[in-house]
Order: sequence, then C-alpha cells, then structure tokens
Amino acid sequence: MFRNSQTARGLTLIAPPALYALLLLAVPLLAIFAFSFWSQDFLTIDYTPTLNNYREALSEPLYTELMMRSVLIAGAVTVATVLLAFPIAYFVSFHVPQSRKSLWIFLITIPFWTSYLIRVFLWKVILGYNGVLNSSLLSIGIIDEPLTFILYNANAVVITLAHAFAPFAILPIFVSLEKIDRSLLEASRDLGENHVMTFLRVTLPLAVPGVVAATLIVFIPTIGDYVTPRLVGGPNGLMIANMIQTQFLKLNNAPMGAALAVIAMAIVTVIALFFIFLNRRWLKGRNS
Amino acid sequence: MTAIVSLKDVQKYYGTYHALRGVTLDIAQGEFFSLLGPSGCGKTTLLRTIAGFEDISEGTLILSGQNMADVPANKRPTNMVFQSYAIFPHLSVGENVAFGLRKRSDLNTKEKAALVQDALEMVGLVGFEKRAAHALSGGQRQRVALARALILKPKVLLLDEPLSALDKKMRDQMQNELRQLQRHVGITFILVTHDQEEALIMSDRIAVMFDGEIAQLADPQTLYRRPISRRVADFIGVMNFLPANASGNKIDIPGLGAATLTPEQCPGGTPSGPCTIGIRPETMSILFGTEPAPARETNGTVHELAYYGDMTYYDIALPGVEKPVTLSMKNLVGRRVLERGESTRISWDDRALVAFAD
Repeated sequence: MFRNSQTARGLTLIAPPALYALLLLAVPLLAIFAFSFWSQDFLTIDYTPTLNNYREALSEPLYTELMMRSVLIAGAVTVATVLLAFPIAYFVSFHVPQSRKSLWIFLITIPFWTSYLIRVFLWKVILGYNGVLNSSLLSIGIIDEPLTFILYNANAVVITLAHAFAPFAILPIFVSLEKIDRSLLEASRDLGENHVMTFLRVTLPLAVPGVVAATLIVFIPTIGDYVTPRLVGGPNGLMIANMIQTQFLKLNNAPMGAALAVIAMAIVTVIALFFIFLNRRWLKGRNS
Repeated sequence: MTAIVSLKDVQKYYGTYHALRGVTLDIAQGEFFSLLGPSGCGKTTLLRTIAGFEDISEGTLILSGQNMADVPANKRPTNMVFQSYAIFPHLSVGENVAFGLRKRSDLNTKEKAALVQDALEMVGLVGFEKRAAHALSGGQRQRVALARALILKPKVLLLDEPLSALDKKMRDQMQNELRQLQRHVGITFILVTHDQEEALIMSDRIAVMFDGEIAQLADPQTLYRRPISRRVADFIGVMNFLPANASGNKIDIPGLGAATLTPEQCPGGTPSGPCTIGIRPETMSILFGTEPAPARETNGTVHELAYYGDMTYYDIALPGVEKPVTLSMKNLVGRRVLERGESTRISWDDRALVAFAD
C-alpha cells in the first residue's frame, strides 16, 4: 500500500497526534461550523440550514462593535507587545555575552511560572482604584486623585495582554536576530554605513520574519481572549469572546455563538493570510 | 616607496591575551601584500584592525597619510571582502553591489546604475544584477563581494581568506583572476591566508606571522629560498631538516658531508656549533645508472615513495641520518619509478642548503 516502509513508519509515528488533533480539533470545529447554520428554537435546535445567524451578527451594532473592538484591542496589544519586545530581543541577541544568553531567555520566561489567571489578578491589584500604581503615585504627589482610565476599560486589557504575551513576541524576534550573520553588520559598516543605518538597512529587514511571527503569535490568541477582558475590561473592555460565551451559556443560543465564533475565526484567518503573504513577498529569493 | 598602510609597533590585547605583539609594517601603494600564518597567529586580527573592526591597544596605524586612531570603520578608506563574503541575503546582486553608493549624493540614479554595471563587468557578472543572493555559487558570491568593495574605489582592499571556501579548481581560477584584477585596478590588496601556496602565487610581498609577530617579511622567492628560521621554512612548502655542526663557515652535515655556506644561506645569522640544515625536495635528485652528478652526490636507499602522477616523492634513507630525506622527481618520459628498498645515488647542490641556528 505504501511505496516504502519509511512512509509507513512516518505515518505510524504521526497517527496518534493526528488522531488526537482530528477528534479534539477538527470535529469540534466542524460542529461549530454546523451549529452556525442552525437556529435555536427555545429549548430545541432547529436543524434547517439558514444564514440568519450571520445576517444578525453582521447587522446588529452590538456584535459588530464587539468585533471591531476585538480587532482594535488585539491590534493595539500586538503593536505594543512587538514594539516593547524588539528592544529586549535585540539587547539579548546583540549585547548579552554568548554564555549568558540562555540565562536571559530563561529569565524572560519567568512570567510563565505563575498561572495566566493569577497574572491577570495581579494586574488588577496593580491598576486598581486603590491599587499599587495609584497609591504610589498619590503618595509621591504626582497625581491628586486616583487614575481611573487604567482599570476596567480597554487600556487595562491592552496592558495586561501585552505583558502576558511579551515572551511569545520576544522569542521569535530573538531567534531571527540570532540568525543574522554578524559579518553582514560589519560589511555594512565597512561599506560606509553608521550603526543606525546598518540597523535600518540590514538588521531590521533581516528580522522581519521574526517580527511577523511575533505579530501572528500575539494577535491570534489575543483577538479571542476571554479571561482578561472579563476580569479587567469592565463593560467597555469586553471583546467578542465574552459575547460568544454569553450566547452559549447565558442566552442558550449556541447557533448564534457559533456564528460569531466562525466570523471571529474568519477575521483571524484573513489577517493571518495577509501577514503570511507579506512575509512571502518580503522573503522572496531568500533561503532562510 | 610611498607607504599607503603604515603600522608602527601595533599591539592588541584581548583581556590578558596578547594577540598582536608589536607589528611594524609598511605597505606600498599598488602592492599585493599577503599576511600568511597558521590559525591564531594574529593575521586576521591585524586585518581587522586595519579595517577598523578592532581597536589597537597600542601603536599607530596610518592609512594614506592619516592616523586612524579615532576613525571608525565606516569612515576608513578601506573595503573588505569577508571570509563568508557577507552577501546581504535580502538584497539582489545589483542591490548588494550598490549598497555602499547610497551616500554618494553627487551621483544620480542613472550614474549609480552605470557604476554597478561597470563593477559587475569587472568581475564578470554582467546580467546578474536581478539575481537573488542565494541563487549564487561560491565563486559568484566571491565576485559580488569583490564588486561591492571595489565599486567604492578604496585605497586598500582587505581580503580575509577569500578563497578558502572554494573548491580547488575554482580557487586556482580565482587566484589568477584576483591577481589580474589587482594589476588592472592598481589598488593595494592585503590578503590574509593560511595557504602558503596561495600567498606565493599571488603576492608581491608576504609577511609570515607566528604568535602575533611578523617572523619574516619578504618577496615570495626570498621567502621560499631563504626562510629566516626553521619555523618559517617548515610553514612554507616542504623542507628537509638535517642536524649539523657548524665551525666557522664550514658546516659538517652527517649524510651529506661537509659544506661551505655563504652568508646568504644563513638568513637567520651564521650559526656556530650544533645547527640545522634545510634543503628543499626539488633541489635534490636521483641519479639513474651511471649518470654523472651535476653537483655533489651520495648513496642512499628508497625508504618510501609516493606517486603523484606528475611527480614522485621519495623518502631516501641516508647512512648516518636518522630521518630519511624527501626528494621529488618529475615523472619524465622514459624515467623509471624506483621501488621500495632499492639502492640509489642522489645528488644535490650545496647552494640549495639553508642553515638555521638551533
């Protein structure tokens, strides 16, 4: 059946995870997809195929606004995370001695030692009305009354998520910077460019694959994040995932929730494809 | 001689490691100069200090009349061909070659394109400007690196082991081309290499470096014929070393008998007492049958031989000498290849001997 035993062995090796992925990923996805074309009839599901859910999702201002907000918050988180991660990755790659690099990378992963949920709660403590930040600023007299724009709104969601995803952005950028042959930087200097121009003409273009990877790795999970907006977002910081949860569990309207989930996935897919295309274009004619 | 590169007592420390131990050197305008030595001898460090990638700890470096103490790499009148070629992978061949032209505000786009064309023509890569960097062979990458450096018309071109990544055939071809290119553009080339043959073929002068110091600075022929020390002689080509004993200008060499050497044959100074005599394999030959000796002769036995096609290398055991001497013979038409264990007469000329003090 198989042309050679190596193919057979390869297929055998990937069979368990493939089966696992199929059962726990593909089947639920298909179920969601199927649900999105059905409709909720009080307690039972009406299996007649319909596009009503999508129609409602795309016309109801509440849904479209949540969708837009999710994209904007995820975009802001991504921009903030990548912009902050790049200098860190650059520092570790270019200015930390080779023998210390793995220690630095290890230290960068420290946030992962505590659970995501606990970290979100910690941000609540830091950003709260009587929180660490406000009381410190008050006590040293920088502000007269507590800042309120930093908790229970979109800002809090951005701050919390940017912190949570920082290592995910640092690592791919670090890897792409590590791959840059240092003699290329010397060549640029040798050909008359100073440090700044060398960075702009050589380092940055060669780090693009890492930046694109970081962007996708941060953007994709962020847009569907549920915990952070729920805990620190307040009413104006809620995102589409919160609405999907509400549809499924509170309003008992699984088909509507499924339709919103499919739309959210479609948005992620479009944006991801755009970045992959960008990466391809950028990397045309590069082998690494 | 007007020196374009002038180093005076250049010292370089890496922490406590003394990488350059007082290098003093003048390189003339238009010269093809090589820094030759084993790995770790400081030749690459020296090249990188000239390029400005390494500071010098002590001493002075003058390039084209200007002290380089506070001049960064990007402001020096040098350009470099890197060992890895350092071709920018995100740029095409044309963009690589044009990289250094960005700052030339006196040129418009058209003039820059013309310069790129000229540079590509010079290295034989016309029609490659749109080619992606990764779609190039090793030899082509080397040419791009050359064009990219030469387009800026540097006072000095620095080449860091540029041929070490190429295969033998390509290397031979590039040695030739580099030499011709250098004569054509008239720019001073400084080549770093560990390959003595490469240095001999290409250079006007060679500085042999050991342990951060220049051991000998000479033209290729002098370097080969009159190496200053046993270490230099051992590094450049093959040489037989025989223990000997000097008294006055007479030297007694077990196996070869007594010889009288001129001062030129003692480039490291005339030895007295126990010393070492060196002789190159190609200056000795085997005498077939009753062939008369052109110079001096002695008897020996073939200890081992290696047939190379064009040449045969014999290890000849001489009576009273512990180590057999190596000599090479061209495999001319009708000339027999001796067999192992065969007795033979060998001949040499005393003028080929070099003496080293122990």
